[in-house]
Amino acid sequence: MNIQSCITIINEWDIVAARQLGRNVAKELGFGTVDQARITTAISELARNIYLYAGKGQICIDKLSEGGKAGLQIKAVDSGPGIREIRQVMEDGFSTSGGLGAGLPGVKRLMDEFYIDSTPGQGTQIKATKWLR
Amino acid sequence: MRIPILKLDDCLLVSIQWELDDQTALQFQEDLLQKIHETSSNGVVIDLTSIDFIDSFIAKVLGDVISMSKLMGAIVVLTGIQPAVAITLIELGIGLDDVLTALDLEKGLEKLQQELGE
Amino acid sequence: MNKIISNYIQDNKQGILDQWIDRTKEEADDRVVRLVSDRVFHATSKEFIDLIISNFKGSSEEYKEKLTDFAEKVVRLGWPLTFVTKGLHTFNSIVFEAMQKDEIIIPDNQMDFVIEFDRWAAPMSNEIVSIYSSTWERTVSLQKMALQELSAPLIPVFEGITVMPLVGTIDTDRAKQIMENLLKGAVKHRSEVVLIDITGVPVVDTMVAHHIIQAAEAVRLIGAKCMLVGIRPEIAQTIVNLGINLNQFTTKNNLKRGIEAALELTNKKIVSLEGAK
Repeated sequence: MNIQSCITIINEWDIVAARQLGRNVAKELGFGTVDQARITTAISELARNIYLYAGKGQICIDKLSEGGKAGLQIKAVDSGPGIREIRQVMEDGFSTSGGLGAGLPGVKRLMDEFYIDSTPGQGTQIKATKWLR
Repeated sequence: MRIPILKLDDCLLVSIQWELDDQTALQFQEDLLQKIHETSSNGVVIDLTSIDFIDSFIAKVLGDVISMSKLMGAIVVLTGIQPAVAITLIELGIGLDDVLTALDLEKGLEKLQQELGE
Repeated sequence: MNKIISNYIQDNKQGILDQWIDRTKEEADDRVVRLVSDRVFHATSKEFIDLIISNFKGSSEEYKEKLTDFAEKVVRLGWPLTFVTKGLHTFNSIVFEAMQKDEIIIPDNQMDFVIEFDRWAAPMSNEIVSIYSSTWERTVSLQKMALQELSAPLIPVFEGITVMPLVGTIDTDRAKQIMENLLKGAVKHRSEVVLIDITGVPVVDTMVAHHIIQAAEAVRLIGAKCMLVGIRPEIAQTIVNLGINLNQFTTKNNLKRGIEAALELTNKKIVSLEGAK
């Protein structure tokens, strides 16, 4: 059974909305404070990537339940320019925006599972999952 | 909404009470530098006790404002960083390496006096 | 068909049992045979054969109950799963060969017998494997819980000084747990210095060191200092040989030195009372 809710990311305020949604869902599922912070931060990073690079996209929060485990999945979808060098953006310290370059590898470390698919010119899809311990 | 900046002797006190969005963070950066300039304070304590998450953007704004303050001659101490925040920052790969930290406001002020005294 | 096999086994029970024990002992690795006494081995073997026979007759509930009992007993005895499944297989071939020898199974009906044998042997071995694995899963989850319970306590020793002794192997899950305990405890006890004692950690590899460094950095962010104590010679060697850089935080060789350094950092000192002998 998967329950999903989505936020469309167009401006900076939507980033705040997305992470608030994520935090509420995480709280509801019974994640501890540290995991709540991890999830909220991951959402913030992903939403910001959409805002900065694609201009428009969607963040969806899914409640997962699979084989007796419960979890939360963040899905970030955009139809922006896509990522040409996935391997390169997954390296620490790589940044095209002048930020701290923590972005995607940071998100990967914060979550349990991380999946990225991107086609240059068509967009990017990222799925990141955290399981309830 | 703007974050209030209080003056205490030759120090500035800031307590961030709600979740920072991008605009507020940038506004705060500007306000703090302006205030340092006006009051020629040489120390700042920023208390983050109520903040339950910091992403790389806010971390960058904070790191920047600390470096900028330093350029203007003011030392900044961050206080009350929550365990959850510390863990996510480290996992994100943000070490805030040259930043001074203290457990709470009281210890932060102590640390500031120490640093300024030396 | 079923009836023929069942009756045959019933009639030749003792012979089959003896043969089974001989052959199993021959095939099994020494480990198992040495593990159990002859008497227990015989008794369990008999029970095993009885169980197989009860598969043919009696209600399915009775069978299931017996099977569960049996599997649990075998797990307690520490018999390897392969030993049990092999035993089942051996039993089959003994019966099959014997029936061939007595000319109950002849080339004409051989195929039917093979199918029949398979029809009752397959669910049985499935059942045994599933009981085995669920028993293991239960044990593993219990052990995991036990491990979490013993996961790193935080001990305040002086005002502002806290010690966290680490014992045992550290994996990623545990490291995360430890980091959370460490930080929450440090804030709760208002610690200025936190000592992580790794005397009880058998191996410090790159991953463990990485987790410890992360913990130390996080401790710094909340406004405390982190010190690593209990570094044994072999650990110092591995750390340097692996090229792990621990320069950024203080290390001491034992807890005593660490506490002395921590006292100094917090402007405290232990003095002997004057005149005390």
